[in-house]
Amino acid sequence: MTSLTTFYLSGIIGKEAFGSDGDAIGVIRDLLINAVPSGQNDPAQQLVIGVKLKTGKETKFYSFSTFRVVKAREAVNVTCTDLIELPGDDVNNGLLLVENILDKQIVDLEGRKLVRVNDVRLATLPAGTFAVAVDIGIEGLLRRIGISYPIKKLLSLFKVSIPAKFILWDDVQAIDFSNLNIKLSKSYEKLHTLHPSDLADILEDLGKKSSTSVFSALDEEKAADVLEELETSAQIHIVESLPVNKMADVFEKMPADEVADILDELEDDKAELLLKEMEAESSQEVRELLEYDDDLVGSIMTTDYLSFSESKTVEEVLRELRLRKPEPSELYNLFVTEDNDKLIGTFDLHDLVVAEPDTKLGQIMKSDPVSLFDDQKTKDIAEIVSKYNLLAVPVIDQDEQLQGMVVVDDVVEDLISERRTRKRK
Amino acid sequence: MAFEKQSRKNFFRKLGIFLMILGPGIITGSVDNDAGGITTYSLAGAEYGYGLIWTLIPSFIVLVVIQEMNARMGIVTGKGLADLIRENAGIKITFFIFIGLLFSGIGNTTTEFAGVAGSMEVFGISKYISVPVVAALVWLLVVKGTYKIAERIFLVFSVSLLTYVVSAIMGKPDWKEIGSAVIRPRVEMNTRSIAMVIGLVGTTIAPWMQFYMQSSVIEKGLKMKNYKYTLTDVVVGCVITVVVAFFIMIACASTLHPNGVQIHAAKDAALALKPLAGNLASQVFAFGLFIASIFSATILPLATAFFVCEAFGFEAGLDKKWDEAKEFYILYTGILVVSALIILIPNAPLIPITLWSQVINGILLPVVLISMMILINKKKIMGIYVNGRTTNIIGWSAVVILIALSMVLLILPVLNK
Repeated sequence: MTSLTTFYLSGIIGKEAFGSDGDAIGVIRDLLINAVPSGQNDPAQQLVIGVKLKTGKETKFYSFSTFRVVKAREAVNVTCTDLIELPGDDVNNGLLLVENILDKQIVDLEGRKLVRVNDVRLATLPAGTFAVAVDIGIEGLLRRIGISYPIKKLLSLFKVSIPAKFILWDDVQAIDFSNLNIKLSKSYEKLHTLHPSDLADILEDLGKKSSTSVFSALDEEKAADVLEELETSAQIHIVESLPVNKMADVFEKMPADEVADILDELEDDKAELLLKEMEAESSQEVRELLEYDDDLVGSIMTTDYLSFSESKTVEEVLRELRLRKPEPSELYNLFVTEDNDKLIGTFDLHDLVVAEPDTKLGQIMKSDPVSLFDDQKTKDIAEIVSKYNLLAVPVIDQDEQLQGMVVVDDVVEDLISERRTRKRK
Repeated sequence: MAFEKQSRKNFFRKLGIFLMILGPGIITGSVDNDAGGITTYSLAGAEYGYGLIWTLIPSFIVLVVIQEMNARMGIVTGKGLADLIRENAGIKITFFIFIGLLFSGIGNTTTEFAGVAGSMEVFGISKYISVPVVAALVWLLVVKGTYKIAERIFLVFSVSLLTYVVSAIMGKPDWKEIGSAVIRPRVEMNTRSIAMVIGLVGTTIAPWMQFYMQSSVIEKGLKMKNYKYTLTDVVVGCVITVVVAFFIMIACASTLHPNGVQIHAAKDAALALKPLAGNLASQVFAFGLFIASIFSATILPLATAFFVCEAFGFEAGLDKKWDEAKEFYILYTGILVVSALIILIPNAPLIPITLWSQVINGILLPVVLISMMILINKKKIMGIYVNGRTTNIIGWSAVVILIALSMVLLILPVLNK
C-alpha cells in the first residue's frame, strides 16, 4: 500500500462508507477540519478530524481517525474500522469543508483577492488526512459537474489541456464561519498579513454579513487603516453594523479628518452617538472639522501635525519624535510656531538629519511658508501643491494660527473622487 | 452646533438620496423594453388589436413583486443573485442556469442587433453598415470608454421610448374600446393566442433582469433605511416598462390591426405606420427602436458575461484589466461578436433565433424564480427581511403560472406538428 493517497472532496462526498465487514454504514456528507490555527504554518489546521455521516435518517459527526480512504482506479473507496462519535466541542471548533468552503468565496492570500472554491484536494499521509489545497480552476468546475473526464479526452485529441488552478491551504483564508460559534479573531488570523488597502478591496467584494464579521475580527489599529481605505458606501455599512463602542475605539485610532468625512455621511443622531462615545479629545477635533463646509480647505485638512518652537534644538526635536512615534505624513512635514500657535516656518526630516544636534530650529527652518486658509476653497489646493512641489500644506486661520495641514494623499483622493462623482452624475 | 450645516443641507440631502437611489429599477425597466419586447408588443397589437392589452396588468404585478425581491435581497445580503445561487443551490443547478443564461444572452443580443439593423433600414441604411458600426461602437464604449457615462446617456435617450406615446396618439386610437378591452378581457383560446400571451409575459419578465437588478442595487450601496425610495424606483421602472408596452400595442392596434396588416418584425411596424399614421410617426417609431436596441445591446452582453463569471468564480468587472479578468472580456467580446455575425449572415434565421431564445427564457425563468423564492425565505440569508405572506403568495403563484405557460410553450410546437 502506498503511503500517500490524494483525492478530491467532490470524489468522497455522497459516497458510502463501508465497515470492516463490508457493509455500508452511511453516506459521507461533509468533512471537518481544525478551524482555529495556532499559526499560519501549523499543519494541524489542515487535519481532517471528523466526518459527517448520514445513516438512515440520522446525521452525526464521527472521528475521522478510524476512516481510511483508498483509491481504486478512478474512484475512491472509504472504509471504517470503528465508529467513534465526535465530542460537540470538536464539532463547534471545526471548519466544514462542504458547508464553509466548497462553492464559497475565500481569500487568496497570495493573489490578495477573493476566489471561489470549486473543489478541495486532500491527501492521506501516515500522520492523518489533510486538506492540501483548494481548486479554483475550470477543471475543478467540470469535475464537479461530472464532465471533466469526457471533455479532457475530447480536448486531448486537439492537444489542449484544461487549465488547473490550485492554491495551497496555507495561502487561503476561509471567510464563512456563520454556523460556528468559534472565536472569530483567531480564525481570521491569516488576514493580518494583507495590506490594509487589499483587505479593504476584499471587504468591498464580500457580502454584508461576512464583511462585518471579518472587520470586527480585526484589531483596532488594523481596523482603522482598513476603514480609511474603504469606499464610502462600505464605510457606512461597517459603521452602522458595528456596536457604537467598538466603532468609537476604531475612530480614535484614525485621523480626525477621515472620521469627519465618514460622520458627515451618517445620520446626525448616529454621528452624535459615536462622537459622545469617543474620548473627548478626539471627538473635539472631529467636531471642529465637521463645522467646515465640504468645499472648504478646513474640511479635508488633518489636525494631526507636529509643531515646535523655534528655540528648540535639533536634538530635542529628534528625541521628541522618537518618543511620540508619529505617522509618516506628520514626520515629513514639521512646523515651527510661536507661543500663540502663529505659524512662522516649516522644516522636514531631511533638515533635521543633516543639521548638527545643537542647531536651533530657527536656523534651519524655511520661513514665510506657503500656506492655505482654512476657509479657502478646496479647488485652490491642487494649484498650490503642484506649483510649490509640496507634500503637505499648512492650514492657518485668519489670525495666522496653525490649524492643521492638507496632505497630498488626501488631495489626490479628493481629486479622483471629484472626477468619479462627476462621472456618475 | 456641529451639525448646523447638516440640517441646512437636509432638503437637498433628501432630494440627493432620492436621485441617487432612483436608478436600478428605472434602468432595468428601460432595458426591458428592448428590440425583442418592441417586436412582440408590435406583433400582438397588429394581430389582436386591443385584445391582449389586459396581459400587461398581471405582468406588471408580477414584475413589481419580483424586482422588489431582488432589490431586497441585494440590500440585505450585499451579494449578487449569481453568488447566492452558487452558494446555496449547488453547482449543477448553477451550471444549468448560467449556461442557459449565456445562450439566451446571445439570442437576446442577436435580437437587439436585428432591431438596430431593422430600424436603420427604415432610414435607408444597410445592415452591413449599421450592425458592424454599432457593434464596434458598443465594444469601444464599454471596454475603452466609461460605462457609467454611457449608461446615463442611454437613460436620457431612453426617454425617447416615450415617443411611442406620440406614435400611438397619432394613430388616433379608440380610447373607449381600449378601456373596455382592459376591463373585460375576451380571451380567445387557441394555440396562436396562447403563444402570443407567453411571448408577452416572457419578454416583459426576462431571467437576466433579476440578476441585473440585484447587482445594480448592490453597486449603488443602498440600505434598508432607504427602502421606500428603492420601492419607488422599482415601481417607477415597472410602470415605464408597462406604459411603453401599452402604447406600442396601441400604436400598432389602432393603425395596423383594422387594416389587417400582417407584420413579422418591429421594423415592419415602423414601415407599416408610414401610410397610416404619417411619415413622422414611422420615423419616431424607428428611432425609438434604434435607441432601445443599442441600449440593450450594450447592457445585455456585459451583464451576461458578468453573471456567468460571478457564478463560476472568474474575476469580472470593467475596473479589471484584460489580464486580470481574461474570461470576462473574452465572454463579453464573444457574445457581442457572435450576435452581430448572426445578423450579418444573409437570410439569417431570425425568427427561429428569437423563438429559441424565448424558449430558453421560458425554461430558465421558473428555475431562477424558484431559486429566488427559496433564497428569500431563508432566515439564514435574509434575517428578519424574509418574504411576507402576500409576497410569497404572489411569488409562488407567478412561479406556477409561468411554469404552466412554459410547459404550454414547449408542448405547443410538438402539438402543431
